[in-house]
Amino acid sequence: MSLELVCPAGTPSALRAAVEAGAHSVYCGFRDETNARNFPGLNFSPDELVEGVRFAHAHGAKVLVAINTFAKAGAMDAWKAALANAEKAGADAVILADLAVLDHAATHHPNLRLHLSVQAAAATPEAIAFYADTFGVKRVVMPRVLSVEEIAKLNAAINVETEAFVFGGLCPMTEGRCSLSSYATGKSPNLTGVCSPPEHVAYTEDRNGTATRLNGFTIDRFGAGEQAGYPTLCKGRFVAGGKTSYLFEDPVSLNAASLIAALAKAGITALKIEGRQRGKGYVTEVVRTFRAAVEAIDAGGTEVEVGRLLAGLVEGGRQTSGAYKKTWR
Amino acid sequence: MAEHFRGELPKILRLLAAPAGFLPLGPALTLAVRRFARRKPAVFDRLGDYGKCSFLIEPSDLDVCFLMVPDGTRAEVKCLRRRASQHADVTVRGPLLVLLGLLDGTFDGDALFFNRAIAVSGRTDALVALRNAIEDAELTPADFVGATGGLGRLVDRSVIGGLGLARRFTGSPIPGEPS
Repeated sequence: MSLELVCPAGTPSALRAAVEAGAHSVYCGFRDETNARNFPGLNFSPDELVEGVRFAHAHGAKVLVAINTFAKAGAMDAWKAALANAEKAGADAVILADLAVLDHAATHHPNLRLHLSVQAAAATPEAIAFYADTFGVKRVVMPRVLSVEEIAKLNAAINVETEAFVFGGLCPMTEGRCSLSSYATGKSPNLTGVCSPPEHVAYTEDRNGTATRLNGFTIDRFGAGEQAGYPTLCKGRFVAGGKTSYLFEDPVSLNAASLIAALAKAGITALKIEGRQRGKGYVTEVVRTFRAAVEAIDAGGTEVEVGRLLAGLVEGGRQTSGAYKKTWR
Repeated sequence: MAEHFRGELPKILRLLAAPAGFLPLGPALTLAVRRFARRKPAVFDRLGDYGKCSFLIEPSDLDVCFLMVPDGTRAEVKCLRRRASQHADVTVRGPLLVLLGLLDGTFDGDALFFNRAIAVSGRTDALVALRNAIEDAELTPADFVGATGGLGRLVDRSVIGGLGLARRFTGSPIPGEPS
């Protein structure tokens, strides 16, 4: 196997669906603020993780546990418990971002394999060397602001594995440093694990279509039949300079399937699919399609038409290769 | 709300599906949900306090709607005429076959929303919690009729196969393909 396919699971049934669809690894989180997909009804209890790891291992797949929010000063108990529960469940690695959580894991759970979350936004050889030398981090998830060429240069200068997102929701900001959601709701993915927390989101239908409101602020309005996106500020439509537009980013999903071979050549170890908040239908279709794409490239075959196969699952009905190509340069 | 969605039942079937015929479904569905709650309480733990919220499910191609409070063994489902004005914490509207596809995990809720195959309003947090709980429940048609073993498998195969055919016939969205 040349490339490891790392797939999302928001629930135990999604984990089973991902494994059965061909995931080499599945990543998931606990049902609290210790992970960046802290949505109502989502995620795993400690007992469910034990069962999930047992199922994955029985099918030859690994389980990586995301504990990737930033711990609150003086209130680290939830993050410490998450690390202990991940180790107890037999997780193959934990995905961390916060320095204190990394330090606690390296000191108290030396047998846990540590991956550095995209939330840590480590994009230089110096930053990555610091995490590797100080905490023993074995893999770094690449920030989604780097081009393939930049990843190749980075991989040549470091000696840990790297993982790159290839499909799903796309943050236009540097991960771990975006506070847009906090301005409108007081909560952010970095500290509470939620961007645009659903208790602040409301959709209102009227004759002109659907208005999306975030804590009372109207952030988008789309007409009947117009494709919709997630209710995040970064993908909202605003008036600036007398013009209404998607100021930061269009509603669009990442699809880097056409770059799988280039990413492998750039030294990437693993390909990551975003979407722990998505359903089994999404997990099954995306994992199956990307597994076929990876195997086709391994076998020197022709590229699988991922974009066409998954067109119905993407945000805003549009797909982009994001920063990997940086066509705007 | 949007008036027409892709994948609605043909008009002739809508006319045959008289509301009066559906109304007794309420008590039957109430019993089915309560029975499921006794069998799989973890699904309702996942819902937490959102189990006390009311959810109005409105098939856009029928003249009936379903008002559900999924409060575990105290759950209640009412089948109502759609014209009756009904308050609920959350309203979900879409073609019957698409809504059923959300129940069994055939469809991804976010994708249906992006493609405007369903419309939602009300408390988004309660809806997200219900969606995630249903996702993990791995509901099958047999769960609704209380069938188990060989009979349950037969019910599942027949109903799922029938729904698949009906979706193709009505032009419902296909998972992965754009609407």
